[in-house]
Amino acid sequence: MQTIRAASDIGGTFTDLVYYEMDPKTGMASDIKAVKAHTTPSEFQQGVLNSLEKANIPLEELTFFAHGSTVVINALTERKGVKTALITTKGFRDVLEIARGNRPDFFNLQYRKPDAFIPRHLRYEITERLSYNGDVISPLAISELEPLLTNMQKEGVQAIAVCLLHSYANPEHEQAIADYIATHWPEVTVVTSHQISREWREYERTNTAALCAYVQPIAAQYLAKMEEALDERGFDGKFYVMQSNGGIDTVESVKKTPISIVESGPASGVLGAAALGKLIGVNNIIAFDIGGTTAKCSLIDNGRVSLTSQYMIEKDERSAGYPLMTPVVDIVEIGNGGGSIGWIDEFNKMHVGPQSAGAFPGPVAYGQGGTSPTTTDANLMLGRINPNYFIGGEIVADMDAVEHAFDTLGTSLDLSAIDTARGVIRLANHNMSNALKLISINRGYDPRDFTLLAFGGGGAMHATVLAKELSIPRVIIPAHASVFSAWGMLMSDLRRDYIRTQPVAFVASKASEISKTLESMRKDALSTYVKEGFEEQDVYFEPLLEMRYVGQEHTVQIDVGTSEITGADIAKLIQDFNKEYEKKYTYFLENDIELVSYKLTAYARIERPTLAKISATGDIQSAIKETRPVDFDESGFVDTVIYDRDKLFANAQFSGPAIVEESGSTTVILPGQQVNVDDYGNLHIEIGA
Amino acid sequence: MSEMVKSSVKIDPITVEIIQNSMRAITEEMFATMRKTAMSSIIYEVLDFGVAMFDAQGQLASSGSGIPGFIGMLEPGVKSVLEKFDKPDAIREGDVFMTNIPHHGGVSHLNDVVLILPVYHEGTLIGWLANKAHWVDVGGSFPGSISADALDIYQEGLQLPCIKVIEQFTPNQAVIDIFMANSRQPEVSKGDFWAGIASMRAGEKRFKSLVEKYSLQAVAYAIEDYIELGERVARAALKALPKGTFEASEVTDNGLSIKAKITITDEEFLVDLRGNPPTQPNGLNATYDSTMVDAQMLFKAIASPQTFANAGSFRPIRLLVDDDSMFAAKYPAATSVYYENSMMSFDLVWKALALAMPDALTAGHYGSICGTFLGGPHPKTGHSHSIVEPQIGGWGASSKFDGINALYTGFHGETFNVPVEISEQRNGLQIDRLALNDEEGGEGETNGGKGIKLDYRVLTDNWWLTMAYVRSENGPWGLKGGNRGSTNYVNVVRTSGETQRYSVCTALPLNEGDVVQVVTANGGGFGNPANRPKEKVLDDIKNGYVTYERAQEVYGIN
Repeated sequence: MQTIRAASDIGGTFTDLVYYEMDPKTGMASDIKAVKAHTTPSEFQQGVLNSLEKANIPLEELTFFAHGSTVVINALTERKGVKTALITTKGFRDVLEIARGNRPDFFNLQYRKPDAFIPRHLRYEITERLSYNGDVISPLAISELEPLLTNMQKEGVQAIAVCLLHSYANPEHEQAIADYIATHWPEVTVVTSHQISREWREYERTNTAALCAYVQPIAAQYLAKMEEALDERGFDGKFYVMQSNGGIDTVESVKKTPISIVESGPASGVLGAAALGKLIGVNNIIAFDIGGTTAKCSLIDNGRVSLTSQYMIEKDERSAGYPLMTPVVDIVEIGNGGGSIGWIDEFNKMHVGPQSAGAFPGPVAYGQGGTSPTTTDANLMLGRINPNYFIGGEIVADMDAVEHAFDTLGTSLDLSAIDTARGVIRLANHNMSNALKLISINRGYDPRDFTLLAFGGGGAMHATVLAKELSIPRVIIPAHASVFSAWGMLMSDLRRDYIRTQPVAFVASKASEISKTLESMRKDALSTYVKEGFEEQDVYFEPLLEMRYVGQEHTVQIDVGTSEITGADIAKLIQDFNKEYEKKYTYFLENDIELVSYKLTAYARIERPTLAKISATGDIQSAIKETRPVDFDESGFVDTVIYDRDKLFANAQFSGPAIVEESGSTTVILPGQQVNVDDYGNLHIEIGA
Repeated sequence: MSEMVKSSVKIDPITVEIIQNSMRAITEEMFATMRKTAMSSIIYEVLDFGVAMFDAQGQLASSGSGIPGFIGMLEPGVKSVLEKFDKPDAIREGDVFMTNIPHHGGVSHLNDVVLILPVYHEGTLIGWLANKAHWVDVGGSFPGSISADALDIYQEGLQLPCIKVIEQFTPNQAVIDIFMANSRQPEVSKGDFWAGIASMRAGEKRFKSLVEKYSLQAVAYAIEDYIELGERVARAALKALPKGTFEASEVTDNGLSIKAKITITDEEFLVDLRGNPPTQPNGLNATYDSTMVDAQMLFKAIASPQTFANAGSFRPIRLLVDDDSMFAAKYPAATSVYYENSMMSFDLVWKALALAMPDALTAGHYGSICGTFLGGPHPKTGHSHSIVEPQIGGWGASSKFDGINALYTGFHGETFNVPVEISEQRNGLQIDRLALNDEEGGEGETNGGKGIKLDYRVLTDNWWLTMAYVRSENGPWGLKGGNRGSTNYVNVVRTSGETQRYSVCTALPLNEGDVVQVVTANGGGFGNPANRPKEKVLDDIKNGYVTYERAQEVYGIN
């Protein structure tokens, strides 16, 4: 019997399902298949079930099902969580409201601070106090809990967040409170801060616990319904959920602290890039995703996805937003995508984005009444997108309207329609290249050491120009680019990230203490996996240390390879730190070094099939659709060969100027650039100098 | 670049836009680098630093700052280098200048150390980069180098009179040795010095590559165009402001009467601070340059808060102030607590305009930086160290909204308070409480925001406290019948239980078990409290923002 592995990703409009069949005897996988169903906002699981039905997948053959969902971020941004209370250390209930006192919109004297998710009367204090070492200064007065809980019940509280000072160093008091509530009020949701984060900064950790408790009942209910619906239809496989850290985890684990899936959508695209890199042996990648309204990018260094635990929601130039101390793939996102509008401000300066034409009226070319030209319109104007094969041939682009729109936009700048369209593309590219610089050059990475892996509807259109601008030597346009996120989930191992703040002087005499901490984190992670039924040999680890010069705030991360560190290793690691620091900041110091946090990523390997390769025979001439003039900015309009991606084959080669068309996307290859197609159908473009 | 006449070249508007975006990115990168490499929390959390790029003549082209109060500060600094080193070849590639004397320009007190770097392309000076950061100690009579009791600048620390600290890429070790020898925290000074250099090197690399890519001519054109754009934005905003003359006065904690008169016409934003008290015989003096920055901040707040700022943005501003006065002190006046004078002049202009511009301004906020300086031996290591922290406080109510609770002053911006958990580990103090201020004051139809109560418990002997808060006598002003807010002060509670209230103290000895209670003001209210809707008052009571008794008294509910 065949087994089927599937992944589903819920987007704003469509729910994607990607799957393949696997022959358990040979380990060989079938071609990857994909279907789309409409997203069903009131009951998201219905859209997923519809997609499974559409694909005609017998659920009893489904052995692996990975799922990405926006349920948590939606509940947060729409304020549709449950009534939540907070229990915190005596003297500190206002921390959640005080936040950090910052005002990003700094000339504005009528700034509005974002409201705390938990109002003051539902923030309760309890007598207890720990020191930063985790020592007990005042014992926990557990007897104070009873009246607090009674009060909460009266108020109709459905979830309780618990965050105590220095609980990252010693979680015992938080745990005791959670145990007490579990005994005396088992129905209520309890989220303790240490379950999510063992890092310091009380406001950030409190806010994280508060928001997690606020969404927990909603997310758990959603996942339970999904499980139930799958089970009813005969599903007996493993159900995993995509997290923001670029890995999947079991549904049981996610239900407890669902804040871990807050940004799973963007993360899965980066995960796809990392998985593809592994498959084809490319370790240094800049993952780049251009959608309708935004472009996102993230850096993968030596196969490792970059994470941040200082993630913010609703933060922008006008608002301080809310911090979430949960590991999230470090993504820079800017308001420039295919639908971004080109416009002229009151001082006659041209800009692109962040306003987007959206799905309606959409770009001018849609002919739905839009008059503001977008990046997509500019790409049509320059011949890069085929007006007769627009959105896979669904629409014939209204080119008269497009030209008229650029003509109008350029009037006050004295620019022709075509120069205005070039201007829109140049500005959009400039914005995107700034984002790419932020994650590479600004963090001490040399773009020449990386491959730009571009996906999403617009990634392939802009990638080669951007790579040239940033001296990135190679671009890869993956096969299945339009369902890349879901594909990534199919290729993923389980991933859990543990961080622990425990500052210690980084000197040889502390080696055994450092080793002990890492080792205990490793054992905890391992035993959790083993308890859940994973085999010990399938679990593997990546230990890292966060270090800095004494007195500094920001840390630099050092790869230690193993959790066993001896006194002799310390000198070498200090050298590594200085080297890494100098790479980032041009100098290093002889000063004392402090280890601030331990980071451990624990993976559990999941059996993966051998992917099918595409045919290696074909005739490049038969892949040519036509020749048409395409504008390449500096070189102007050049006669360009247009290829049909579906007819390309392994090892096919050709050179630019060229355009490769497929139904959801267009790849632009500049004059002189060389293209090779690999065994899996990915396009490799050598950028040249 | 000076001979570049804008009309002689024509660069396409898209390229101009791209270069101007890149200029913003350059200063943002300089800012981020400084923040990540600095050694003291006054820089990386409080953001008491600023970075900027300039054209070859020293005009501000773009700035990176988390704090509006530092945007306009660096331009006079670059100009002071150009003035002092005006001989041919006196300025060369690879030089870095260093200055910290407020009366010479570009800086407001000795703790603010400015680094200035000329940028060259193929032998031609193409512009300047500068970096200003608060160093935790530059010597002088008092730890932290700040005191309201300083009589003149000589007591405030080491003076660096616009000197070359790096000459043609070679650091002048003598200068580095001197500034380290004069600091109570030499390693921190050294670290912050190199952090400043790293931040400018990052900017220099980008500045040069911009010129390489687009040509010197295009970049020069774009910079000039950008400054002109700044002026056009400012002038357009000025036209939209209500015209007339607006006045305000206040009485300081020392009983001095201070006043401001603002005249707004289609052409000019005139701030008249003449007739204010003379240079003070203490640290509470500001120089002309820092008072100008206060006028700039307020102008920006009412004119175009959400746009960029450069030299052009401030051209409509004219400042009149008497020489040798507390808002334009003469050398060698002490200026270490200049920032409280800044708060006073900023607050006066704010008050004068508040009712005329209700959509941009609020009632008075807590109005003091509340700079709190604590030092002593860390209980774990025994090492002596000090902390420098401004405090958050209550903001004034507006015609529509209650004031914001616990926010840094209008002088600050993307400034972050130090988390309790980090503070305890780093500083070796215990923090007993961080709560909203429960004192009365600031009630109105809309209420002033709450200040804070922050209690530091000292854990070892031989600590000290220095602070100088203003608005310790008269709380922030209300508008249209709203109540004045409460006041800023510190209570020192000794182990004996004896409690002493301070608004100013210098190196006050503290020992194990003493508690320093910082209290910051609630902001001013807007409108008659009796008109506050009842459901809002009930909500305030439920949330403990006001007691039932006080609500009865001021809102008249029953």
